[in-house]
Amino acid sequence: MPVDPTANAGYLVAAYVVTAMILGAYALTLWRKSRER
Amino acid sequence: MTSETVGGHKVIRRGLVVTGLGLLGLALVYVLALQFTPVERLQGLPQKIFYVHVPAAWSALLAFSLVGIASILYLWLRDPRLDLFAESAAEAGLVFSLVMLTTGPLWGKPVWGTWWTWDARLTFTLILFFLFLGYRALRGAVSDPGERARFAAVVGIMGLVLVPFVHLTVYLFRTLHPQPIVLKPSEPSLPWEMLRTLFASLAVHTILLTGFVMTRYGLGKRAQLAGGDDAG
Repeated sequence: MPVDPTANAGYLVAAYVVTAMILGAYALTLWRKSRER
Repeated sequence: MTSETVGGHKVIRRGLVVTGLGLLGLALVYVLALQFTPVERLQGLPQKIFYVHVPAAWSALLAFSLVGIASILYLWLRDPRLDLFAESAAEAGLVFSLVMLTTGPLWGKPVWGTWWTWDARLTFTLILFFLFLGYRALRGAVSDPGERARFAAVVGIMGLVLVPFVHLTVYLFRTLHPQPIVLKPSEPSLPWEMLRTLFASLAVHTILLTGFVMTRYGLGKRAQLAGGDDAG
């Protein structure tokens, strides 16, 4: 049966936020290390 | 400053540019997935998690395959650059594995009704993740560079053996995990609007993997030339 298209939006938001946070945090770590002398 | 040091800096700079482009691409993929891709009729919005979960899995498995290939080549050629490349790819692979292992349960809960199940695909993926955590721990525990590279290469090759097995688990075992929808003998079973978003995200995640490995490799090279052993 088709579901309510707006149901469970929180899981999608959480997944996209977590993905951006993990990849962004690693990129930031690399950038900070690149600036260390 | 030697030419090798300059080369290391250049790789870091280029790697950071590629990483920046990848992050920008990720933002565009989010817009594409949320605004221009239809909502799947049965799963609803959680289906769109697929556009980050599958590309993260692709990047993780690609990174771990590269570790294995570089490890085989290292044992053959004994070129320390191959060892540094394997180390860089393993670290990036762990980052993408973390994305895969967090977005998977976030899809599983609304669709399967459970965060986690000990089915073959999930269990083997977790084993692969722990294998590469062990790879990193091993690298930290051995101080002699030659010995460390040799031991790590053996673990890296074990990871490479696991990669195709992880892909084939959905055929070999009864599993809750969906079957492959693109990497399979027949045509991809997705409408074009969804396939387009998936391919865009696969490209972006591959760019990010490239940026991460380049930057990490350059940092490792710079650390080696400065007399330290590692950038990790």
